[in-house]
Amino acid sequence: MKRLIRAVRALAIASLCSLAGCTTLGHTWDDWFGEMKLPDFPAFDEYTESPKSYVEIALEHDFLVRVKPWERSVLARHDMAWDPDELEAARRTHTFFSKEATMPGGSAGGGGCGCN
Amino acid sequence: MRRSRRERRRERATLRALTSSALALLGAAGKASADTAIDHVETSYSFSTYSEDKLESSKAIPGGERNRYSVSTQQLSLAAPITDWFDMSMQLTHETMSGASPWYNSADAAGTPIQIMSGATIKDTRNDLGVHANYYTDNGRLGFGGGYSAENDYSAMNVGTDGELHFNEKNTTLSGGLGLSFDELTPTDSDLYKLRPTQESKQSYSGFVGLGQVINRRSLIQGSFTYNWNKGFLSDPYKEVFGIGGSGQRFFADDRGGARHQFAFLVRYNRHVEETESTFHLSYQYYIDTWGVRSHTAELDWYQNFGDAIQIAPHVRYYSQTAADFYLPYLRLNQQPQHEMTSDYRLSAYGALSFGVKGEYAFHTPWFRDIEWRANLSVERYLSSGDLSLKSVSVPAPGLVNFTVLSAGLSVVF
Repeated sequence: MKRLIRAVRALAIASLCSLAGCTTLGHTWDDWFGEMKLPDFPAFDEYTESPKSYVEIALEHDFLVRVKPWERSVLARHDMAWDPDELEAARRTHTFFSKEATMPGGSAGGGGCGCN
Repeated sequence: MRRSRRERRRERATLRALTSSALALLGAAGKASADTAIDHVETSYSFSTYSEDKLESSKAIPGGERNRYSVSTQQLSLAAPITDWFDMSMQLTHETMSGASPWYNSADAAGTPIQIMSGATIKDTRNDLGVHANYYTDNGRLGFGGGYSAENDYSAMNVGTDGELHFNEKNTTLSGGLGLSFDELTPTDSDLYKLRPTQESKQSYSGFVGLGQVINRRSLIQGSFTYNWNKGFLSDPYKEVFGIGGSGQRFFADDRGGARHQFAFLVRYNRHVEETESTFHLSYQYYIDTWGVRSHTAELDWYQNFGDAIQIAPHVRYYSQTAADFYLPYLRLNQQPQHEMTSDYRLSAYGALSFGVKGEYAFHTPWFRDIEWRANLSVERYLSSGDLSLKSVSVPAPGLVNFTVLSAGLSVVF
C-alpha cells in the first residue's frame, strides 16, 4: 500500500514538473551549481596504480565479493565451521563408515576398524 | 551538559560497530578459515551409546538370536597452541563393543533370505589415539598427523599430511592431503571356524584435493575430490556365504578380492542468516568404487541459536547405495560359485534416513578462571531399508540395521 502511494505521488510530481516545464519554454535556467566550489580531487594516477584487467573488475563485482578480514565476524562464527563439534563429527563419520559401503570424503587417511 | 537521548544512542551504535569489527578481527582466526594457530587450550569430552534395534522376527529364524550390537564410546580431545604459528591436538577414543553380529543369510521356505546372527558372544574394546600438528604461514597451513587404533582382533596404524593454501585475499582456499593406513587382522576363534584366516593385513593409500570459496560475508562453499586405494585382505573374516541346493548345503568364505579403488565427490555449503540467528549446513556426496557400489549422501544441518547461550541443532541425512557386483543374499548350489562373493548387508542395495537433534548450552565462569564451557546433549536415529533406496530393491538384505545414538559432551576453552 505504502509503495503504491509513493508511486502515485512520484507520478503526480513528475507530471506537475513537466507541466511547469511546458509553461517555461524558452526560459534559460540558472546555473545552480555554478558558484559551488568543488573539492580538489587528486590526480588520476594518485590512487589507481594501473588500469584493471577485466578479470580483476569481474572479481570485484558483487557476485564474487572479496570479503575483507574485518568483515569476517559471521564467517568466524563457531557454527560456520565445516565441523563445529569435532568429536561428534569423528564419531558420526566412524559410525557411517562402519555401517555403510561409502568412504567419507574431504579428508585423507584415518584408521580402519574390524567393525561388525 | 546533558546529552540528548539520540546522541547517546548514536554513540552506543558507534561503540557497538567498533567492538564488532574488533571482534571480527580477532575472530578472523575462526575455524571456518583456520589460517592461524588456535590461541587457547581447548579440551572436550564426550560419552555416547550406540544401540542397534533387535532384528525383526520375520527376518530371523524362529527362536534364533535377534539381539544385535551395542557400543559405548568415550572420546577425549585436547588442543593447545605451542607458539603463534604452531599448534597441536590429540584425540583419544575408548570403545566397548558387545552383542551379536550378522553372520550369514539362510532362506525360508519361500526363498526369502533370513539373517543368521553370531551368538551374542562378541566382547571387544577399541582404543584409538590420534595426534595432529599444524604449522601456519601467512598464506597457508601444513599439518601432519598419525594415529593408532587397537582392538583384540584388529590394529590399524595411519599417518598423513594435509595442508591449505589461501589466495585471493584469503577468499579462496586450496586444500589437499595424503594418507596411509596399515591394518593387521587377527580374527578370533580361527581354530574353530576353518574359513576364518588366522592373520591377514591390508593397506590403504588415500589423497584428496579441495577448493573452498568465500561467497560473501555469510556464506561459504567447498568442493572436494577424495581417492582411496585399498589393497590386501578386504573381506570380513566373520561373515560367510551360505550355499543351498538340492543336494545339501555348504558354507563359503566372504571374499571381496584384493583391491578396491574408491572415489568421492563432496560439496559443502554453509550459510548464516543473521535475522534469525541460524546457520544452515548443506552437503552432498557422490561416491563410486570399483566394487560397483555407487552412493548418494545428502545432509542438512540447521543450527538455531537463541541468544549467545542456547543452540538447538536438528539435522537430517539421506543415504542411498547400490549393491556391490558380487553381493548375493545366499548362493544356490546349482549356480556356479563366484570367485568373489559376499552376503554382507552393508554391500547390498538400500537406502537410509537418519535424523537427530542436538542441544547445546554455552556459558562462561568469570569467577573461575574465566573459562568458556559448552555442554551438549544429542540424539540420532538411523533407519535403513530397501524401500528407502533410490532405485527399487527386489530382495533387500535381511540384516539392514536401525540404530539409536545418544550422546552427552562437555567442552572447555581455557
